[in-house]
Amino acid sequence: MPRRLRQTLDNLAIPLLAVVLGLVVSSVFVLMARTDPVQTYQRMFCEGFGAKGCQTFGDLLVTQTENEDGSTSTVFAPFYGAGGHRLAVVLERATLLILTALSATVAFKAGLFSIGMDGQFVLGAITAAFLGYWLPGQVYVLAGVADPESAPQTLLTVMHLLMPPLCIAAAMAVGAVYSWIAGFLKVRLNVNELISTIILNAIAVQIVNYLVRYPLRSDFNSTARTTRIDDTAWLIPFNRGLFQDVEWFSGSRLGIGIVIAILAAVIIWFFLWRTTAGYEQRMAGGSRLFARFGGIPSEQAALRAMLISGALSGLAGAIAILGIERRVVDGYAAVGIGFDGVMVAILARESIPAIIVVAMFFAGLQQGATNLQFGDLPRQLGSIIIAFIILFSSMETFFRNLINRIQTRLRPQRAPAAEVRPS
Amino acid sequence: MPLAVDMRHIRKYFPTSNVLACDDVSFSVNRGEVHALVGENGAGKTTLMNILYGLIAPDEGQIFINEQPAHISHPNDAIRLGIGMVHQHFKLVPSFTIAQNIMLGIEPNRAGFIDAADEAEKVRQLSEDFGLPVDPNARVADISVGMQQRVEILKTLQRNAQILILDEPTAVLTPQEVRELYIVIRKLAADGRTIILITHKLLEVKEVADRVSVMRRGRMVGTHNVADVSIRQMANLMVGREVILRVDKQPAKPGEVVLSAENLLIAGHGGIPAVFGVSLEVRAGEILGIAGVSGNGQTELVEALTGLRPVEGGKIMLLGKDITHASVRDRRRAGMAHVPEDRMVMGLNLKTNLDENVVVTHYHDEPYSERGFLRANPIRKLARQIIDAFQIKSARVGEEIKTLSGGNLQKVVLGRELYGKPRLIIVNQPTRGLDVGSIEFVHKTLIQERDSGAAVLLVSVELDEILALSDRIAVMFAGRIMGVLDATIATEQDIGILMAGGSLEAETPIPEKVQ
Repeated sequence: MPRRLRQTLDNLAIPLLAVVLGLVVSSVFVLMARTDPVQTYQRMFCEGFGAKGCQTFGDLLVTQTENEDGSTSTVFAPFYGAGGHRLAVVLERATLLILTALSATVAFKAGLFSIGMDGQFVLGAITAAFLGYWLPGQVYVLAGVADPESAPQTLLTVMHLLMPPLCIAAAMAVGAVYSWIAGFLKVRLNVNELISTIILNAIAVQIVNYLVRYPLRSDFNSTARTTRIDDTAWLIPFNRGLFQDVEWFSGSRLGIGIVIAILAAVIIWFFLWRTTAGYEQRMAGGSRLFARFGGIPSEQAALRAMLISGALSGLAGAIAILGIERRVVDGYAAVGIGFDGVMVAILARESIPAIIVVAMFFAGLQQGATNLQFGDLPRQLGSIIIAFIILFSSMETFFRNLINRIQTRLRPQRAPAAEVRPS
Repeated sequence: MPLAVDMRHIRKYFPTSNVLACDDVSFSVNRGEVHALVGENGAGKTTLMNILYGLIAPDEGQIFINEQPAHISHPNDAIRLGIGMVHQHFKLVPSFTIAQNIMLGIEPNRAGFIDAADEAEKVRQLSEDFGLPVDPNARVADISVGMQQRVEILKTLQRNAQILILDEPTAVLTPQEVRELYIVIRKLAADGRTIILITHKLLEVKEVADRVSVMRRGRMVGTHNVADVSIRQMANLMVGREVILRVDKQPAKPGEVVLSAENLLIAGHGGIPAVFGVSLEVRAGEILGIAGVSGNGQTELVEALTGLRPVEGGKIMLLGKDITHASVRDRRRAGMAHVPEDRMVMGLNLKTNLDENVVVTHYHDEPYSERGFLRANPIRKLARQIIDAFQIKSARVGEEIKTLSGGNLQKVVLGRELYGKPRLIIVNQPTRGLDVGSIEFVHKTLIQERDSGAAVLLVSVELDEILALSDRIAVMFAGRIMGVLDATIATEQDIGILMAGGSLEAETPIPEKVQ
């Protein structure tokens, strides 16, 4: 099907062009910092996506390894990560971006421009952080265990199977309810969901700040923080558990969360495209009038979309705590992972397979840009580069027109025999 | 005779939609004539006129205005050359007065402040000069559609237009307003102005134009003196084949009452009552046509009947069942089908593919879904059946529909709505924006449904359509039904009087319009 092939090529060409243009334009600022753009970008991409010792763009693809007998061989770089691979760190961060981007996509597809992911995320996080130490604590008290170290192994095993799902479920419920508020306001009172979710985000961030600084503050550490979650609630990262011996994972807190995130992507895809409920949501999103006209209960569909969207952000918050952070530190609420998820969803144009790719790319860029500061470069430079790449990525129409114009220029003669559509 | 407009070898290709809208089109208009430009939808007539008015840049070709080569790259260039355009959808500011609208952008000012008195005076002078009376101080929101059109024409005249392009000017007018417009057009031509009339109504061409140019699929197929060609010949030129202009139909054999509405009271936009106590009955095997100028409560009535708008008072019965407050889905289950006014936004979801569009009315039923999961094969089969039954040539199962033409889109809607033999079919403006061939198809389909025993409620602002299809005609004005006529004896004149709010019994003249 040549038309579909051409579409796919177009769809790939646009993000690529955007990245290249973003890099070219940012070179102006790189030059202003009196550094060499090519060098800078190489370092940025190596810090973002490379293995240890990555120096050039080439190192991103292939690298030399030393065999036991002293000879060297050439290997595919993404798979080779002696001393830890940057991609593992990218995946750690991408886990959260995938989930929050899915959350945004579920809302967008239902025609709701909810950007409440941030608020739902931080509330989910604080819920998981609290339950993560409080619930096991209650169990220890009930079981009469004074010191978890000396608890019977069976008890610990059972708890380890129960605690994470409980915390995750609670965080998802909190996210869902918080998101439902905006949905309810929209459906009943016609309150613009964009505005209500912005406000709800601000409220959530302040609630979390308050909780971390006062009721849930664990100690007198100079930065307020919650008690670290109990080991039984911890989603143990690969490098501490399952793949302890695989060096690729060392230095990253990547864990079971990435599996959950990808599973969630598959389930959401299936839900949206293969169930009547998903169909209702998408039709209501495509054209509200069409949905009403067809007899789709569109208010119900909108509320359901908001619930699912909120639950996904809550899930992201739970994984961030149970799998990565293990506690909420003051300031974590302002990191803005929910917003990054919205950005990923928009850049992926609400396509679920694209979300996974874009989330990884975005996470890598962020990491590369942040790590630039460990050299002689100002920290802000990385942000500028990312901003330009995002800016150009959002200029889809511009690139599409550009491609069209080039195509017309290439075959200006009597190419198309006017669209004949006998009716 | 000198040429006012001479467009030579115009070519315009739209790469995004892959349409060659104008293919080596040459078009010339004599000074002081009324020249009709006709063609089906998508024939390229609007593109050609947009090129002349500077809204679209042609790929190739030259334009001569008054026999001088002209470069028109912006409407301002066109205005400077004395070209004015009245668009199909008026571009007036409703909250401004007539004078403010006409002088928009060229307001007389005193030290930077608008001189309102002078503004009104200038407009009064203008309307006197051209014999087109308007009240300069009336707000545009308060005046009739015919008057708004007059304001648009005055606006071009104020900018000293010698060449006027009128895009489908009669689409929104009552028959009486159409007459008045014809008089204005003839008067302007007699003054030596040149009128280009874009239209697809051939009767209109016969009545008002001197010459006619016909376009078909991006090509100019000929220019004729109107006196030399018949309506049938023009239609054949437009479509490229023999067209049946009259709809063949047998007398209706009305059966049981399918839909009855009693004393409906319906609120319109912002809670203002839009329909006051309308009662009507549609029987199996008949077409009830609802005529009226748009905006007289038809939309609200259809929405209330189909469950999209709540009813404030009254009762709706479908096959003996009270459905006054039933949901859309329940009404559809009870045998109601609805072909909505706006097929782009309400009738279809252009963001998705054909399959998902045709299944919207059935998706919750087996075999299209089971226990909440959609089943692709039955849905695909349904789409294929509809494509085959309605010969939607360029549509394909599982593909996007946004590239289909208007006629094919309407076929998709009809195919879905008529699937499963509905007992009641409510259609609103079923042929709006369609070309002659598609109109023919839609009309034939509706007659067929009637003959196989469906009750059809047809709402249309096209009087020709109402007259051609209906067995009985109800005329709506200001939210009321002014009268129900037997279609076999109703005349256009009678309907026109009722459409304007007049009465057939009393010997009162038609109320004067707001001036």
